[in-house]
Amino acid sequence: MSELLGHLSLGFSVAFTLSNLGLCFVGCLVGTLIGVLPGIGPIATITMLLPVTFGLPPIGALIMLAGIYYGAQYGGSTTAILVNIPGEVTSVVTTIDGHQMARQGRAGAALGIAAIGSFFAGTVATLTIAALAVPLTKVALLFGPAEYASLMTAGLAFAVVLARGSIAKSIAMVFLGLLLSTVGQDLETGADRMSFGVSSLSDGFDFAVLAMGLFGFAEVMRNLTVEQARDVVHARIGRLLPTGAEFRQSAGPIARGTLLGAILGILPGNGAVLGPFASYALEKKIGRDPKRFGRGAIEGVAGPEAANNAGAQTSFIPLLTLGIPPNAVMALMVGAMTIHGIVPGPLVMTRNASLFWGVIASMWLGNLMLLVINLPLIGLWVRLLKVPYRLLYPAIVIVCCVGIYSVNNSPGDVALTAVVALLGYAASRLGFESAPLLLGFVLGRLLEENLRRALAISRGDLSIFVHRPVSAWLLFTGLVVLVVAVLPSIRSRREEVFVE
Amino acid sequence: MARLRVHAPQDLVAGASLLAACLFALWAAAPLDGGRLGAPGPGLLPRVLAILVGISGLWLVVVSLFRPGESLGRWPVRGPLFISLAVVVFALTIRTPGLAVAGPAAILVSGAASPETRWRELAVFAVAVTVGCILLFRSLLHLPIPIFIIPGWVVL
Repeated sequence: MSELLGHLSLGFSVAFTLSNLGLCFVGCLVGTLIGVLPGIGPIATITMLLPVTFGLPPIGALIMLAGIYYGAQYGGSTTAILVNIPGEVTSVVTTIDGHQMARQGRAGAALGIAAIGSFFAGTVATLTIAALAVPLTKVALLFGPAEYASLMTAGLAFAVVLARGSIAKSIAMVFLGLLLSTVGQDLETGADRMSFGVSSLSDGFDFAVLAMGLFGFAEVMRNLTVEQARDVVHARIGRLLPTGAEFRQSAGPIARGTLLGAILGILPGNGAVLGPFASYALEKKIGRDPKRFGRGAIEGVAGPEAANNAGAQTSFIPLLTLGIPPNAVMALMVGAMTIHGIVPGPLVMTRNASLFWGVIASMWLGNLMLLVINLPLIGLWVRLLKVPYRLLYPAIVIVCCVGIYSVNNSPGDVALTAVVALLGYAASRLGFESAPLLLGFVLGRLLEENLRRALAISRGDLSIFVHRPVSAWLLFTGLVVLVVAVLPSIRSRREEVFVE
Repeated sequence: MARLRVHAPQDLVAGASLLAACLFALWAAAPLDGGRLGAPGPGLLPRVLAILVGISGLWLVVVSLFRPGESLGRWPVRGPLFISLAVVVFALTIRTPGLAVAGPAAILVSGAASPETRWRELAVFAVAVTVGCILLFRSLLHLPIPIFIIPGWVVL
């Protein structure tokens, strides 16, 4: 316990410098600003804003990125409530009751309870991370290459199951992502792989190019093809502070949502997605009058929003302790960290203690800032939501262009991103999801490295993966999850869950 | 004999594209040494993964012949065409003459992607956004982005 307090005070001493507080603030603000724009989820937001952090020292950059991430998350919820357009899967649930509340003139209360619930969940999740980080890092140090490879495989299996759409297509995207990650110099022999003599490819396919192409430009292309019926609420926003009765109704859902979200968020392979759905289902089941749900029940906003934020935060745990990103957003964080010369994993905590705890402390600060800056700024967000898409998308295009150019100062990268975007657009027309591909891509190098090390240890005997108990258990879990997902009865439930 | 009929055109094309990707990767990885399991070479994993991509493609193709699925749907060209064109224009003009030209040029080209574009409004907007970008990325963040360069004449 005293160890925990020591770590947290170290963290706060780092985070409480004027410049880091400022960066956290700017990150939250800009993250919300971009995240509020309809049709732009956290992935696109972080990709667009990645270059903004380039000039900063690593710790400041990470604090700002974390702020951007929470901001984008919260911005997504705002859009879900006010416009009925979910920025990403996790805010789908919020649209159900949140938008109804907004139509009844209770948008303020919905936004308020979402912010308060998120803040509570964020506080609990930050403490969870701080408490779990040390023991989990110790576990991580016991992991050999075989365990690492199996853990990543299990994570990818989870990612397949939790992606939307056809399982076969998600599996294919994971494989394709892994395949893409093998482009470039071989880690052991230095042989040039599938780079066709293009020098920029021999360092490997650039992460930023892929992310920006798939989640920046391709997203714009997709949005241009659908008629955007934007249903911005015209009703009053109403008072922001929920009434006493509303608070009493929401307390239970917030606590339960936090717990569910925090637990699911730790799972590798994007378990955080399940949090809001699970919380909504739970509240509806135990609610005294289930019929209220879908008609503006505040519990239906409070619970899922708390779960959403708790999961968003605890999904940092696998990244910070094991170095394994559990979802596409965290994959972006890995990309960002590597750009700043930090290799995420168990060693960061010991080698770079002030950075590690500083980032964790700033998570809590970020949540606090969201509460403080967002509620007063709701009027601004509403006005921003009324900017027509015909002006929005050229701005997105240009910011993405500048961003991608700044990564390597290479015009070639910019042109390559256009190609990736076209392929990504075509893929989405064919019903492929981009998120599993990005996750496979980020895990690819790590997976290959560990696979080859494990095989070298066992002299080519594949049974090493099942003879070591932890590895076998992880592989088994992954397999069970996959098999269960392919079973027809579960599949129909899964489709139901993801129906928007 | 029942005639084979495509029940899910979208899945058929999706699977066929995966098969194409598989063949392409196999071809690209062909010169690489596969090695043995005990001593995996650089070509082992690319080849295995390419085959796995191929298998998923084959699965999609086969299933598409039996199980009903989605149609190919509409494939609007205008948006993707002009967006990627705008990005390419940006790539071509960012070094010389620099962002002061690349910015407005890319924005104006991207404007053609939407039927709702109002050109006069967009022109004003393009200048404003470019100025904003220059202020943000160059003045505030000090990223080395060329603003306006005419070789041997002006360098900004």
